Amino acid sequence: MYFWKCWRDTRAFFVAFLIIAAAVIPLTALVCNGTGIMQEGFGRDAVVSTFGLLMTVITLGLGAIGAIHEFSDKAVHFLFTKPRSRAYFVWIGWLVGCIEVLGIAVVNLLAGSATLAFYHPGQYLSAFFGALKGFDIAGIFIYGVFVYGQTYALTAVLRSGLKGLGASLGATTGLWAFAAAIWARWRLHLPIPADHIGHLPVALSNAVWILTALLFVFGAQLVVERAEI
Amino acid sequence: MNEPAIVTQGLAKAYAGVRAVTGINLTVPRGSIYGFLGRNGAGKTTTIKVLLGLVRPTAGSARVLGFDTRREHIAILQRTAFVSEKKTLYPSLTASELVRFSRGFYPTWLDSAVEKYAQLFEIPMKQRFEQLSNGNQTKVWLLLALCQGADLLILDEPTTALDPITVDQLMRVLAEDALDRGCTIFFSSHQLEEVERIAEYVGFIDHGKLLMEARLDDIKSEFRLITAAGTALPLQLSPQVLSVDVEGAFYRYVVTADAEGFAAGLSQNGATVTSITPLGLREIFLQLVRKEQSCTSGNAGATLVPSSSRF
Repeated sequence: MYFWKCWRDTRAFFVAFLIIAAAVIPLTALVCNGTGIMQEGFGRDAVVSTFGLLMTVITLGLGAIGAIHEFSDKAVHFLFTKPRSRAYFVWIGWLVGCIEVLGIAVVNLLAGSATLAFYHPGQYLSAFFGALKGFDIAGIFIYGVFVYGQTYALTAVLRSGLKGLGASLGATTGLWAFAAAIWARWRLHLPIPADHIGHLPVALSNAVWILTALLFVFGAQLVVERAEI
Repeated sequence: MNEPAIVTQGLAKAYAGVRAVTGINLTVPRGSIYGFLGRNGAGKTTTIKVLLGLVRPTAGSARVLGFDTRREHIAILQRTAFVSEKKTLYPSLTASELVRFSRGFYPTWLDSAVEKYAQLFEIPMKQRFEQLSNGNQTKVWLLLALCQGADLLILDEPTTALDPITVDQLMRVLAEDALDRGCTIFFSSHQLEEVERIAEYVGFIDHGKLLMEARLDDIKSEFRLITAAGTALPLQLSPQVLSVDVEGAFYRYVVTADAEGFAAGLSQNGATVTSITPLGLREIFLQLVRKEQSCTSGNAGATLVPSSSRF
């Protein structure tokens, strides 16, 4: 039942972004059709950039409005007197958001590749799929899961969706800025979420980032379990 | 099964060094209605939160339906229905959706009771919770608790915002329907008339301390107000004498036991005993709280009659 409740709470956000995910590339292509942009390589880059931007926005949003945000709500007396562990509520809430992130990601990629196939039959579609590895779509998705977990955990710690969102946005941009500064000053590569870590293979790097993302949820679980209502 | 529905021993809870509850020993017999009385901020809600595992006690222990509140709170929640002091629920859900949401958590859920109580309390089931009046929001909480098929109902100020008719209906439902199922009811209130109407046992709490708990009938039969006229009559408090008021030549004593014997002692001191009258819950409550305040300020040192032996 809690699964249903989480879905009900986030479905408006999910549907809105699902529509955006499905429409953004086809609409952009429609607007740009006949212009030079279409001939100058519109396609793979546009799809991948849109995908990254979308992942950032939806993971920040879902992390802040996901199940954990009701932890700050007065109805928490009602929820936490249901015969389930608090860990159950934390993980179900996170899982619903994750499924929604995945759904939006898949729709966005399918709509993007279908659009490319329509405008550049044969030419760009194979290039697009071939480029998936190069652009590391999986990496972007993992980055999304990381940001989602981070926002989710910060929302639990700060007991506010808005504060969680702000803190997560600050942490994300701060980390990027910090890594850039370290690079500029000492030429040291500080791995940021979904980056390759040192000389680890891509799969292992991704696994490390996924585990780190899950650690955020464990952190949220600890906070919620120890909280006095 | 003979274990009390609720039993606490030396239960204490402090928030950031501020004592909310201190050394509470509570015993709620199974199948009874227990009124937990106290003023605002007395410690009623904190005690309830400890019982439900919402907060951890600083000291002492609590068992609910035979389960330890620290280690087995899920088992407690499976068998316990709760109405919170804060009557807020998910604002965008309708009462029907809240029923749908709650039902899934409890195998003992009573589907047949939903319609019955919805009609009885006249709850608009299709309206969003946020659009309901305060009274109807309270009714939804009560509906969800009553339909759970629980062994124990813990109600924190259950009549908040309810009109007198609904209060009357609720009292009847609690006294008849719930008790028929063998359910234990533990409810906090400062509405003394409601408690007096249905409670079998009462506990008085003030400043985080349990002042007394006992069977209501025993309290009523033992507590007496003695009015006597005389001069230089005793003013000292004791376990037997809860309070003394002096107005001119008249002395008013609230005694907890053996009123006749105490009155005879006054007569021997030359007093004229003008009346010995039983007390209502309100007077008893006021006397207990007043005494607690004077004890707190250091003006009196009388201790109360231990109540656990009464059960």
